Amino acid sequence: MVSIVNPFVPRRHVAEGQEHLVPVYVWELPVRLAHWGIVAAVTVLTWTGLYLNHPFLIFPHKTAWTMGTVRFIHELAGFELIGALIVRFYWFFAGNHWARWRQFLPLTRRRWESLKAMVRYYTFQQRKPFEQIGHNTLAGLTYIIVYFMIACECVSGLVLFEAVEGSPVLKFFVGWIPPIIDIQWIRLVHFLFMFFLMAFFIHHVYSAVLVAITERNAEMESVFSGYKFVTDETIDEELEIAALEPRQLFGKRRIHRNRTWDR
Amino acid sequence: MAAEESVLETCKRRGISRRRFMEFCGTMAATLALPKAYSQTIAEALTQKRKPVLVWLEFQDCAGNTESMIRTTHPTVEDIVLETLSWEYHETIMAGYGKHAEAALERVVREEKGKYLVVVEGSIPTADDGVYCTIGGRTAMDIASKVCRGAAATIAVGACAWDGGLPKAGPNPTGAAGLHEAVPGINIVNLPGCPHNSVNTAAVLVHYLTFGVLPALDGEGRPLFAYGQLIHDQCERRAHYDAGRYVQAWGDEGHRKGWCLYKMGCKGPEANYNCPTVRWNGATSWPVKSGHGCIACASPRFWDTKSPFYERLPHPAGFGVDVTAGQIGWTVVAGVAAATAAHAVGHVVRDHFHPGNGDGSALETTLAEKQTTEVR
Repeated sequence: MVSIVNPFVPRRHVAEGQEHLVPVYVWELPVRLAHWGIVAAVTVLTWTGLYLNHPFLIFPHKTAWTMGTVRFIHELAGFELIGALIVRFYWFFAGNHWARWRQFLPLTRRRWESLKAMVRYYTFQQRKPFEQIGHNTLAGLTYIIVYFMIACECVSGLVLFEAVEGSPVLKFFVGWIPPIIDIQWIRLVHFLFMFFLMAFFIHHVYSAVLVAITERNAEMESVFSGYKFVTDETIDEELEIAALEPRQLFGKRRIHRNRTWDR
Repeated sequence: MAAEESVLETCKRRGISRRRFMEFCGTMAATLALPKAYSQTIAEALTQKRKPVLVWLEFQDCAGNTESMIRTTHPTVEDIVLETLSWEYHETIMAGYGKHAEAALERVVREEKGKYLVVVEGSIPTADDGVYCTIGGRTAMDIASKVCRGAAATIAVGACAWDGGLPKAGPNPTGAAGLHEAVPGINIVNLPGCPHNSVNTAAVLVHYLTFGVLPALDGEGRPLFAYGQLIHDQCERRAHYDAGRYVQAWGDEGHRKGWCLYKMGCKGPEANYNCPTVRWNGATSWPVKSGHGCIACASPRFWDTKSPFYERLPHPAGFGVDVTAGQIGWTVVAGVAAATAAHAVGHVVRDHFHPGNGDGSALETTLAEKQTTEVR
């Protein structure tokens, strides 16, 4: 097994009595960059978007440039979001086992079990969440919806940007949309999905904290360091499944396990 | 009508001076975004050419476009256009009526085939064989199809003739359709707006008389010179928009100071038209200048898509007429936040009353135990 030297590895983040857990390098750098890129962009876009819909700050000075500035920030953050999304979409096909698109769908029996177990966990019928190295299946399905909404936000944002920018390049890509769906309905979808993403944000942070507290497995730290702490049994099961999967599009399978970890 | 008299002579007889006529030609060149030299070309074309015949058809309409064309306080654009063309048929203003009027229309279609111009106002009902609009026993569809297919060019004025307008707004009981939809394949230029701006219509006619072709059109069949730019980009209140100074309520300080009407639901940012430059009522004003937001009357299906006119966004369907998108959005966020809080409380309560395996930590549970159902 390959060991990866990573300065961000959380050596001391495993709680007392959790020393039997093994660190696995799950979230590669592009995944983490995309994650935090999306977080930053969506945060900025939500605040500026709320202002664009209903300008709540009025500066009556002659020199104010409030709307102009907010719009500019919104547009910059929008392009940053598109960039982050492209990185993540590319990594669906080029990333390691846990970054691949298959991880989001209940394609194996184990992932079906994970889906059922997580539903039971959230409805208080089961005390422990399903231990999985990557996303659990319920989260995976949720992220499909989230990625769909973010993609819709990007496309609808480009349509709205094209309407004011008049760029021939943008017109080529998204100019066919407004004749089919009126620009006001596009604006409405752009606005409503913002709230759905806000709602998702609340749920997402809560779930991550909940699992981190229940499992004491450095779940929260993993999205900074890339390492998750799991049991040997889980690693064996997932590697077995990974070996059965068809060959991936690009690159080799990159699954890193460091058994000789300095615990 | 005296088809032999030149336009200039007619204008003189009606009390319109040559100076006024040249001024008109200059206005037309400016409206069409042509260089100044073209005003001379336009003047020559209007004085030399034989008066083309024009017929004006009205279907499902309010005659608002006719009003916009003929109601002026002093002789300007409209009069000159009226004098430049030989108007053979126009229900609202013609003297003839009944069979004689219809005979005049039939004569034009028969004798001027391929040479006359048609202006169409109002939408065309298609439901129930078009019985919802008939003139002299013939359906609007029948008349429009016959007259427009024989014409050199057709000008659809107003929102109704373009995309169905108000008659086509939901629920559209008469199956109303715009002209290019009801009578496809004709040489047509659309001048939407509620009503059309007669300066633009005059400019299209002048363009046709001067160059023999219709002006360049956009994807919606509207001339680019009039519909090529956002109202927002030409608006005199734009500086207030960028600065972030908005009218918050009708008659408030911002409204009195002429600030931006964005928060009052102005649709200028999503509407294409040349209102801010051409303006109305002898180029004195236009809606935003007079303190009212744009309603995007020259945009596709504006009754359905741009309402409510005093709010930024449409109301989502299926939630009742006065529920806004913001209310739905915040309700969703509040609902998820409440559910999350309830779930957290549930965890605390459950762990308090049922501490599980001793202290409930992961230590005591093996993987096998963890991943089997623990129904409590």
